[in-house]
Amino acid sequence: MRLFEFYSPRTFDEATALLSQYGADAKIIAGGTDLLIELRKPGAKTPKAIIDISKISELTGIREEGDLVVLNALTTHSDILRSQTLQKHASLLCSAASTIGSPQIRNRGTVGGNIMNAATCADMVPPLIALDAQVTLKSRGGTRTSSLSEFFVKPYVTSARPDEILIDIRFPKPPAAASSSFVKLGRRNAVSISRLSVAAILHVEKNALVKEARIVPGSAFPTWQRVMEAESILVGKKPSRELFAEAGKKVAEVMISITGRRWSTEYKEPVIAVLVRRALEACWDN
Amino acid sequence: MRESVGIIATINKKKYEIEVAPNTTLLDVLRDQLGLTGTKRGCEIGECGACTVLIDGQAVNSCLVLAAQIDGHEIVTIEGLADGNTLHPLQESFLDHDAVHCGFCTPGMLMSAKALVDGDIDPSEEEIRIAISGNLCRCSGYQQIVDAVKEIPKK
Repeated sequence: MRLFEFYSPRTFDEATALLSQYGADAKIIAGGTDLLIELRKPGAKTPKAIIDISKISELTGIREEGDLVVLNALTTHSDILRSQTLQKHASLLCSAASTIGSPQIRNRGTVGGNIMNAATCADMVPPLIALDAQVTLKSRGGTRTSSLSEFFVKPYVTSARPDEILIDIRFPKPPAAASSSFVKLGRRNAVSISRLSVAAILHVEKNALVKEARIVPGSAFPTWQRVMEAESILVGKKPSRELFAEAGKKVAEVMISITGRRWSTEYKEPVIAVLVRRALEACWDN
Repeated sequence: MRESVGIIATINKKKYEIEVAPNTTLLDVLRDQLGLTGTKRGCEIGECGACTVLIDGQAVNSCLVLAAQIDGHEIVTIEGLADGNTLHPLQESFLDHDAVHCGFCTPGMLMSAKALVDGDIDPSEEEIRIAISGNLCRCSGYQQIVDAVKEIPKK
């Protein structure tokens, strides 16, 4: 690692002032689990300044605000895993957090960092997009929000400006009758990077028909999106293994229409279809 | 450009006021600056867990923490586990179960195990396996390690 200027602001004002001073020459550090690996890669570009936001106390914690759940940006994967609020309203986030890295990584890595790093394998993003999450960004000029599904430009690139800090992520609580799941396929069980994943939310009404379904694959597209074509197959129907399999096939079809046929398609095409089916079955079993 | 940052941190119950270079990790400072070489340098990408220490009671990879970030925090390393000449019950148990083979993973394994048993005195086998899932043992002695954590001598 080459030398850089190190700052650890205690307040938003200090942090945003530093960001407006350094702009793209600064990098924000929170848990550091992605950044420190990047900085040590041969030929890595060293920023002029690293701004440690971990001392800004307003950036920690999970809270409910009426019909919304708010995750402050420094919420760690371990915090998410253990949160009663999330277990109750969005258990797919807890499932996704439990699959990230190791306990050591989960104790440091933050949901804000997972989003801002914008790796295609970021495991917190598919569940948050399924939840229709919004991100709140703060700069010296003020605060703005963006829907998470429109926030990503391409792998490792977001639409955040260099002078902005991600401060929180918020999403509406799904209906109490809805259930959710996250399934992930990696090369091993622990400390594994997602090869493919699926976040799903399924709301089945009292009349036993699907009212709403949301399906967001991870590591399948250049950026994340709900697969509405597959979701609409489910709506108004009675849940069954066959129906879920049909939705899975549709997701595979949409994936190939976006990414084209690649060397990995032979593998990914059947596997994503099965993961979608499993994710929907896991919702249905809950 | 400032070549050092002043920090105050508690390491193994001792208060340190030290100057660290911004571009050093907690692992570098523990081993090279403070001589606490019990914490091992392994992969340096957060995969192997050999460098595991506790920050405020939580297991972390010290290779992925900037030294300057520990300002105001409490660190425990493998050197802080025993009480003088009295080994920690986990250390006793590792010896009793032959859970130390080449020994390189042992400090990290012990720190991950400590974080677990400090929060839960009687963890299940699954909880133990999850707790040490970020620690690689290339001698492949996992079963003895799991048994050692399961059967800590109760004092």
